[in-house]
Amino acid sequence: MLETQQLTKKFKDTIAVDDVSLVLRQGESVGLLGPNGAGKSTAIAMISTLMKPSSGDVKLNGKSVLKKPGEMRRVLGVVPQKIALYEELSAYENLKFFGRLYGLSGNELEQRIDYVLELVGLADRKKELVKNYSGGMQRRVNLAAAMMHEPEVLIMDEPTVGIDPQSRNHLLETIRKLNQDEGMTVLYTSHYMEEVEKLCDRVYIMDHGKVIAEGTKEELKAILSDQETVLIDFDQNYPELFTKLSEIEGVQQATAEEHSLKLIIPKGTRLLAALFHEAERYGAQVVNVNVQTPTLEDVFLRLTGRKLRD
Amino acid sequence: MGAFLIKDIMLLLRDRSELLILLAMPFLLIAILGFSLRGIFSGDLEALEMDIALVSQGDEAQAVASLQNEIEEMGLPPGETQALKQAAESASPQTMLVSLLEDESLSELVTIERMSRAEAQESLDEETVDAVITLPQGFTEDSLRNMLFGESKSGELELLVADLSSPQTDVLKSILNEFVRTVNFEASISRLSGQQSATEVFGGIETITARQPITSFQYYTIGMAVMFVLFVGSTIAGQANLEQKQMVFDRIRLSNRPPLLYLSSKAIAAAAIVSVQLTLLFGLSALLFQAFAADSWAFWSGIAIISIVLALSVGCLAALMVAITLRLESDAVPAIFSGGVISLMAFVGGSFMPLDGMPEMLRAIGNWTPNGAALSAYFSWLLEPELGQLTGPLLRIAVVAVIFLLLALAIFPRKGGAA
Repeated sequence: MLETQQLTKKFKDTIAVDDVSLVLRQGESVGLLGPNGAGKSTAIAMISTLMKPSSGDVKLNGKSVLKKPGEMRRVLGVVPQKIALYEELSAYENLKFFGRLYGLSGNELEQRIDYVLELVGLADRKKELVKNYSGGMQRRVNLAAAMMHEPEVLIMDEPTVGIDPQSRNHLLETIRKLNQDEGMTVLYTSHYMEEVEKLCDRVYIMDHGKVIAEGTKEELKAILSDQETVLIDFDQNYPELFTKLSEIEGVQQATAEEHSLKLIIPKGTRLLAALFHEAERYGAQVVNVNVQTPTLEDVFLRLTGRKLRD
Repeated sequence: MGAFLIKDIMLLLRDRSELLILLAMPFLLIAILGFSLRGIFSGDLEALEMDIALVSQGDEAQAVASLQNEIEEMGLPPGETQALKQAAESASPQTMLVSLLEDESLSELVTIERMSRAEAQESLDEETVDAVITLPQGFTEDSLRNMLFGESKSGELELLVADLSSPQTDVLKSILNEFVRTVNFEASISRLSGQQSATEVFGGIETITARQPITSFQYYTIGMAVMFVLFVGSTIAGQANLEQKQMVFDRIRLSNRPPLLYLSSKAIAAAAIVSVQLTLLFGLSALLFQAFAADSWAFWSGIAIISIVLALSVGCLAALMVAITLRLESDAVPAIFSGGVISLMAFVGGSFMPLDGMPEMLRAIGNWTPNGAALSAYFSWLLEPELGQLTGPLLRIAVVAVIFLLLALAIFPRKGGAA
């Protein structure tokens, strides 16, 4: 349905987006995962027809949209990272204005406003000024505004940045419903691994402007299929013990966090005997041992050597 | 278009600080300036009344007689001798000055009292007089020699005032300047024809004061109105900048509306706001300060025509500022405009004070600013409600508006993004 081909954006000496090719099929929910500064927002701006690429193409149903962006804009609903609303107007007034820009009027406009407000759970507070809403509520209206013209594709650029857990859950649940119940195609950009993992069928991982991995969640995790993650919780912090354990033969990566230690080891490594032996030597009490399947965070760590939020 | 207009006007109505700048502040300034300077503009001369001490250090009669004897001994033909002697008597500058200050046209304004130098100085120190005019020894003779024979040395007046910056001082200076111009003119005439009547020349002063005066409330209602409409331009450009920063502008672009619709809506919103602003300022000024006759339809029709042209012109100015703001992606343009350019335009446009004494170039520039040309149109209409009087200033406003609009269209980033 929507694809980018070798999309590149250069700003003077910096290459913000480098040869990025993405595909969104109808009804899919696709994640664009990467740390801050990876080039996600620039890529989104080019896909949304708001920024001209230095090279490459953006196609909707096989047709380039760079010269004639009208059709692309008609089917797209874009939720920018910023709150793109008039703070001095109420949610209702904002939605009415944006609805009228899309040619809605009369009953049709009122019904659409009611629908999107219901969708984001703000129907009972629609008359309040946007500036008086919490950050989470503002983000929900931001989504509602992008939904006014019944778009087929929803592009969201970090829509949950800086909001409370309750609003975040509400927003994620709304997006999941739009995708699964209404068949809306979603491109979801985030540096929160757990959001992408929860919402998306396929994921593109970006770093330094490039796509460094792509596939379904399972395919990406299969990168780490020959490894497993062991999370060990102790009764307190034992720096010397943690150092000793990270030196056990076969440990590929060790990350200490307060009372716990995370070890990535090849599958089949016999770790437990050595672990309990060393713990007894240092007088440490092992509270919990958890062998985990790899997460996308682990995949990113493996691919880049950095955490997503570094 | 309707959606844009409603939105822009709603945003303005909810922005109290902008409303204060656009409506409350000009009204407050009209009240303050109108009341404090009403004596200067209204023809009520109480605020400008002054007591003047006149010190004559020479003997005028003796100087005239001495000059007449000299003319007698020059051996000129009898007719010419007679004419010069008569001119010496009738064109004596001291007599002319006293006649001027005691003239009926100035009697409400000036009270003159002859004193010795010491008395005059003491009175000035005690502030029982506002000014001292001294005619030094030899003034009459030097002036008459300069007038009749073209000798280079001319008489010089001395003026001492209690307060250099007072309106009375300004008025007195202008009276004396007029006197000096008259004496110079008289000198030329005397040299050419040998005689001239002084009173005919003094008629010039009467001409200046013969006009129906503009009151301070009228002056400052118009002055402040044409100044504060300019702030609408920066308000609208400021809004556009905020829309761009908050990515609302991107949302508008994504709606597939023609980019020029956005620009024209900004211009029309500005023109609409200016129309409301002018209606309120003129209306309140007429109702509360009786600045204008409230029941004259003909008068208000002229005011409406000027206001509409001015509003459209400010709309074009706002469009230009929006275009530059969006092109530069910066709020510098509205900030610089409201922070300094408006004051400059108001000054050269004559919003603060009449530009009569200003250099010709400054007045010419002022006449080509929308506010200056509008001010000129309003005053012309106020003094003489003839439509023909408005053609010049309104044409200037229209020309400037078209230039603003063309520049706005050239600068506006209508191709932003992939489109």
